[in-house]
Amino acid sequence: MAYIRKDVSTLTAGERRRFVRALLELKRRGEYDEFVRMHIDYYVSDGEGGLRTAHMTPSFLPWHRRFLLELENALRRVDPSVTVPYWDWTRNRTATAVPWTADLLGGNGRRSDRQVTTGPFAHATGNWTIKDGVTDTTFLTRDLGRARDPIGLPTKADVEWALSDPVYDVSPWNSTVTRGFRNKLEGWGTGRGSTAWLNHNRVHRWVGGAMVGGASVNDPVFWLHHAFIDLLWTRWQRRHGEHRYLPAEPPLPGSSQFRRVVARHQTLPPWDVTPDQLEDAGRIYRYA
Amino acid sequence: MVVSADGAAVTAVPADTTQPGPTVPPGPTTRPARRRTRRDALRGLLGAAAALALAPLVAASRPVRRDEPEPELAALLGPGGGLDLGLGETVFDVTYLGRHLLGSLVPPAHSGDAGRWEITVDGRPLHLMRRADGTWLSMVDHYRSYAAPLDAVRAAVDELGPGEMLRATAATGRHTHMGGHHGLHP
Repeated sequence: MAYIRKDVSTLTAGERRRFVRALLELKRRGEYDEFVRMHIDYYVSDGEGGLRTAHMTPSFLPWHRRFLLELENALRRVDPSVTVPYWDWTRNRTATAVPWTADLLGGNGRRSDRQVTTGPFAHATGNWTIKDGVTDTTFLTRDLGRARDPIGLPTKADVEWALSDPVYDVSPWNSTVTRGFRNKLEGWGTGRGSTAWLNHNRVHRWVGGAMVGGASVNDPVFWLHHAFIDLLWTRWQRRHGEHRYLPAEPPLPGSSQFRRVVARHQTLPPWDVTPDQLEDAGRIYRYA
Repeated sequence: MVVSADGAAVTAVPADTTQPGPTVPPGPTTRPARRRTRRDALRGLLGAAAALALAPLVAASRPVRRDEPEPELAALLGPGGGLDLGLGETVFDVTYLGRHLLGSLVPPAHSGDAGRWEITVDGRPLHLMRRADGTWLSMVDHYRSYAAPLDAVRAAVDELGPGEMLRATAATGRHTHMGGHHGLHP
């Protein structure tokens, strides 16, 4: 029986409390920080050598789907009633809306040092000390809306621009492609300036602080953001039912992408699972 | 034209144009020096009688920026703090928002390798990554990229809070036992 991932704005007070409590328990056990390190470890950029599994690559979506399932399984070992909620940033668009409330993720960072001082992930609670950050700062940081150089969250139109592309991804399967649902959603632009960073990337930048860096998983909003990205993949699949994950076959020797991307039936490190097997997670969870 | 350490002119070797990376000057700076620093690079140039002749070229080749390089380097470094021989910027040493940014391009160990940047901010290492379009992103600012390494480093500094320091050792996830390091990185 599939469980339900809910819009975070619809969680009851009890659901919010249990979700937060399960996250804090994973942090206390040291399990949470493994997710932080794993995300750092698998961030391979496309201008360098090596296999890309998590970013700038077709498997951006299945990799994060599996990553989310891993976290969700850990949460459900703590509390079987918990699922990862999603943050629909096309609807909840202000720094005081959900999930930035004291009973969920807490609010914006304070002006002086961007430290999050409200909610369950505030440093003063003693429950959320950053261990694997890019800097030596041990408190969670945010700069919602980017006060110094403001940007807006992506809009429904931005999301629609990605969803309306019927092709999953195109060669050369990296951050430079201008067609295909995957990069339009992942959000690597070709231009210069703040308008070049779209959808997924843009949300990381709107949240700011820890979410902008390689250790973005330190902010639990990472999961709510990626649950919504994952939901958008299911919407794209519903709309373009005949279209599948691409590439279907691995790039050939001689191609610049040979052994650089994961094709539909190849295993997706670090797991023993293929994008093909991750395309339909409907038997595990559904979105409400 | 590039000037070697003894002041003699040497002919530039064409860079590997299949790589989007910055071209690397031939001659003394291409020795396989993993620990090559900006000072090493400058030493080679300062030993050359051509240093004075290069200065106007360097100054003219850089866009005007608000950073001020260390005074004693001003004759060699352009207003942007970059040492540009017309073959791409390979070192920088600037102060930006009170932070000391030091960087040098480590020449490629073999052909097909674009080389990598060793960069510190106030003495702490900052890892840069390259995008396929030739732009750069840093560990601090991971969800957009910048035209030049120094731009990416400045943007990283922009993201740091007051007094916030990079880690003494660069953040990596090499210790996870959920996936670990599977040789995914070059």
